[in-house]
Amino acid sequence: MHATLVEPFAVPFMARALTELLLLAGLAGVVSTHVLTRRLGFVADAMTHTVFPGIVLGFLTAGVDGVLPGALAAAAVTAVLLTLLTRSRRVTDDTALAVLLAAMFAVGVVLVSRRASYTADLTSFLFGRLLTVTTGQIAQTAVVAGLVLITLALLHKELLLRAFDPQAAAAMGYRIWLLDLVLNLAVALVVVAAAQSVGTILVIALLVVPAATGRLISDRIAPITLAGVAVAALSGYLGLAISYRASVSHGLRLAGGATVVLTLVAVYLLTLLAGGLARAVQSRRTSDAVA
Amino acid sequence: MADPAATPPVVEALHIDHAAIAYDAEPVLTGVTGRVHAGEVVALIGPNGAGKSTLIKAVLGLVPVVGGTVTVLGRTPAAARRDVAYVPQADILDPQFPVSVAQVVLMGRYREVGWLRRPGRDDRRIAAEALAQVGLAERARATFGTLSGGQRQRVLLARAIAQRPRLLLLDEPFNGVDLVSQDALLGALRGLKRQGTAVLISTHDLALAQHVSDHACLLNRRMFGFGPTGATLTPDLLRATYGNQALELHGDQIVVAHH
Repeated sequence: MHATLVEPFAVPFMARALTELLLLAGLAGVVSTHVLTRRLGFVADAMTHTVFPGIVLGFLTAGVDGVLPGALAAAAVTAVLLTLLTRSRRVTDDTALAVLLAAMFAVGVVLVSRRASYTADLTSFLFGRLLTVTTGQIAQTAVVAGLVLITLALLHKELLLRAFDPQAAAAMGYRIWLLDLVLNLAVALVVVAAAQSVGTILVIALLVVPAATGRLISDRIAPITLAGVAVAALSGYLGLAISYRASVSHGLRLAGGATVVLTLVAVYLLTLLAGGLARAVQSRRTSDAVA
Repeated sequence: MADPAATPPVVEALHIDHAAIAYDAEPVLTGVTGRVHAGEVVALIGPNGAGKSTLIKAVLGLVPVVGGTVTVLGRTPAAARRDVAYVPQADILDPQFPVSVAQVVLMGRYREVGWLRRPGRDDRRIAAEALAQVGLAERARATFGTLSGGQRQRVLLARAIAQRPRLLLLDEPFNGVDLVSQDALLGALRGLKRQGTAVLISTHDLALAQHVSDHACLLNRRMFGFGPTGATLTPDLLRATYGNQALELHGDQIVVAHH
């Protein structure tokens, strides 16, 4: 057990990967609760597609240092566009959005394809490089996580009201579009923060699964958020340990980010199963008591 | 300058003067004129799509008034929002939303609490009292979505009461509500009326409108009548408002048959 769960993290690159994942778990656990209550799964998915060309452009113009600014710019543009599009009641056309997302994604791929190291670059942009995370990237993630978490904490009650009853929120004089913009930016920043380690594709799992798991065990915001953070952190830790053990002891190369996501989904499914079993046992007892 | 607190000016809660209301170029509702004073209950009567909800949204400043004026407590609708509370129909809200009854009622205090701050002990007390006024104090810890439709409607009224409004707007509050909850809603509304709150209720239940309101306002794309309920809900005016929809008169009861 010790060899699998503790030893791997004595290696510096594994310790850095774990630190990055724990930071992301704290960030994504909280943001995923908002994604759940606001039903922003689609917006989150949109972000993953539109941040990608920003990362590529940033990398092409300024190398590794350009990735974060590029991603930030793309995320900001997307957050504003999505806020505007979802604000207008007339845009109910999912097709237009889908076309926009596909086009943005294709732009990213076309830009990467002009490089000699096409395949390797594409893979790292899409799926991240968890095991080569640097101290500088960890610091960036920490700053982003701090900013987003403080903002969401300060606006907690307003965001709750807007998610629960937008009509009443508007009637009370809250500017719905402003609250939406803040939350869209928060989601975008999670995608940006996770892009280099987990990749732009797999981050959607971090934005949806933690709170979805929390929702299975509670119907209050605070426990859902706490459970989401815990589940994300646990999955990050276990996923890393598993991929390390598999590659060192069994010569089986498992991509770190993908293993973490699979662990996260496995925890969700197990919770779902456990909940179903608990309900079955309970209804069995109830029917026994009646009989 | 005279101290404004010494001689409070008599301000109408709501003053609508030849108002036309439109989302886009084409007005949804025209020719609305009427006043609501403190402690008065006014029923907005009309068929579905008549513009009742639109009028309520205009009073909230959420839909543009393109002609005439809508004045709320002597101010523009947008400037008066802090003194106005709105009760939406409970069934538009997601019953899966992870929130407790107490948390929903506490939302009525958010505006007063202000940005960046958390509700305090006083806010919780005011919310608890509001919940008691609708007879649901013992359900405070329940999940909002587990309540019946009528109980959810009462919780939303409690949230509005917690706002301590001078003008209260309710959108079809009696739709699909059981008798127990209907009585609780009516009781709470009587309490608000006694405290001097002006109340505007949209409904297509004519019997309830006669029971609950002092004045009635007949709407169907334009205003067909406004005045004391008994003198306004007359067969002639109702027939004019509802047009082809059949009206049946049973003694002093009027039933609108929907098609």
